Amino acid sequence: MPGHGDLDRQIEQLMECKPLSEAEVKILCDQARAILVEEWNVQPVKCPVTVCGDIHGQFYDLIELFRIGGNAPDTNYLFMGDYVDRGYYSVETVTLLVALKVRYRDRITILRGNHESRQITQVYGFYDECLRKYGNANVWKFFTDLFDYLPLTALIESQVFCLHGGLSPSLDTLDNIRALDRIQEVPHEGPMCDLLWSDPDDRCGWGISPRGAGYTFGQDIAAQFNHTNGLTLISRAHQLVMEGFNWCQEKNVVTVFSAPNYCYRCGNMAAILEIGENMEQNFLQFDPAPRQIEPDTTRKTPDYFL
Amino acid sequence: MENSSSNLSSLPEEDSQNGGTAAQSASKSPSAFSSKPDRPPIQAPSQKYAPLDWSDYFDQEDDVHIPDSENVFHFYKAGNEGPVVLCLHGGGYSGLSFALSAKLIKEKARVVALDLRGHGKSSTENDLDLSIETLCNDVVAVVKTMYGDSPPAIVMVGHSMGGALAVHIAAKKVLPSLAALVVVDVVEGTAMASLIHMQQILSNRMQHFSSIEKAIEWNIKGGSLRNVDSARVSIPSTLIYDDSRKCYTHRARLVETEQYWRGWYEGLSQKFLASPVPKLLLLAGTDRLDKTLTIGQMQGKFQMVVVRHTGHAIQEDVPDEFANMILNFISHNRIGPHGVVIPGLRRPSQ
Repeated sequence: MPGHGDLDRQIEQLMECKPLSEAEVKILCDQARAILVEEWNVQPVKCPVTVCGDIHGQFYDLIELFRIGGNAPDTNYLFMGDYVDRGYYSVETVTLLVALKVRYRDRITILRGNHESRQITQVYGFYDECLRKYGNANVWKFFTDLFDYLPLTALIESQVFCLHGGLSPSLDTLDNIRALDRIQEVPHEGPMCDLLWSDPDDRCGWGISPRGAGYTFGQDIAAQFNHTNGLTLISRAHQLVMEGFNWCQEKNVVTVFSAPNYCYRCGNMAAILEIGENMEQNFLQFDPAPRQIEPDTTRKTPDYFL
Repeated sequence: MENSSSNLSSLPEEDSQNGGTAAQSASKSPSAFSSKPDRPPIQAPSQKYAPLDWSDYFDQEDDVHIPDSENVFHFYKAGNEGPVVLCLHGGGYSGLSFALSAKLIKEKARVVALDLRGHGKSSTENDLDLSIETLCNDVVAVVKTMYGDSPPAIVMVGHSMGGALAVHIAAKKVLPSLAALVVVDVVEGTAMASLIHMQQILSNRMQHFSSIEKAIEWNIKGGSLRNVDSARVSIPSTLIYDDSRKCYTHRARLVETEQYWRGWYEGLSQKFLASPVPKLLLLAGTDRLDKTLTIGQMQGKFQMVVVRHTGHAIQEDVPDEFANMILNFISHNRIGPHGVVIPGLRRPSQ
């Protein structure tokens, strides 16, 4: 095996927000796929680990996250999906996270979010960004093919269950999740879709999701799921919370959202959840990174009238 | 969520506008009972842009007279079962803006497409009063007159100005059977920002057409509509014949309604989010969300679909896709003819 010289140099380059070449991305994605295919639908993770929510291409805020939480591999990280779309640097963001995964496979866990999908990325920016930065869609294809291999959920020390969205009425146990065939595009419905799209809700039971995909689940559902599976907590992302983290459902569920001032306009804080060596929990909040002026996405005045 | 797109012809994107007005026009509104505008002088036939009749798409047209007023609203109906999909068109359009999609939606729902005040074949005491209050009262009065005290479940669908109207009506909580809300390509932040351009946009528009065909052709070639068949059925109802000038002009006198425009959009995002029914926002472009809606969307409070390869009038440009999205939305939220029917699931709204 060659040393890590190339990869270390690439990570250094990516940390400066400079994208890799198309050929380098292809090799990186091939290496990552070989690693991810060996991982489980419920990927076991050891503490200590720092759990992160949505990033959405906000590269400089990801760098800020590492400044706050510690650099990899000194800090172990578990990212709960939504690396791409919306922000201006989806390419650099997802490339960096995948490079870190390849370099430090046991210290970085990257799960799948609902935006790690061919269909969603064609609408919300990642596809267009790849075209803009590489002149063709090859890099988009390398990554979206890789996304099919991302684990759906992770389990920290058999206690804290982590995933992007939430629970599914078709999945009562972790073993149900382990039995899914995940290597595919995120379906429009069904258990795999639910894990990436569902939200907790103040009302009991299952509900139709206002999002049009997944479900809403009440505290009774979360408590039952935790009890059945011997869990202490469901940690998930997917929803913007103004403080960056939000406890709900009698502390059966916590939402962690790690994109400060989401979409460069929402004014929210971001947070990450440190889980220590004795499983103690500590939230770190952070504001947007001081930044140079973001590229101007000139918005066409809509021709709407009226 | 993505569906097959229409196989109808489309044109490249251009900066152009919809709706229209003719400030100079001195012509009167047609009576509620007039069928079509008077025929123009004989023109060389242009089959490609020849008008199409509403009856190919809707089952029926009719008028509803609002009691104790001179207001008569024209509407088109299609379908016999399911909830009522009440369609509110944008400024300068007419109920026939929903013609092509109605033909598909009617398989599983009842479509009612109104001509709003000052538009199409409706006639009112004051066609220039397009204040949001008046427009809301109009729609509520129409629903009450049509359905009395036991209205069926209503899925209110509004495009642009009509979308804003739908949100304001929902916020008033005066339609007890309102089951869902669909807003087509209008967002408060971007609408407000674009208002300053609107007089210019309106005044740059062609005001007079020697024939209906010319008006259809102008809308297609200018890019404001991309689906020729839809333009052929919808554009004729946006025109009136000006006897003094011997030409067609825009039916809706939008330029004269500027004082009301802000009122259509102010507070829209908050009201949209506050409405307790299931909500679908269809956008013809990615980045039209303002801050309020970006937060709401990222908190999962409504369904949003960005429709690609379409102009502002999504229901006209890609009617198949539009109809599918409406029907899927109705079915996903389990809305039946009398409201939400949820075996084993509770209603998602508060």
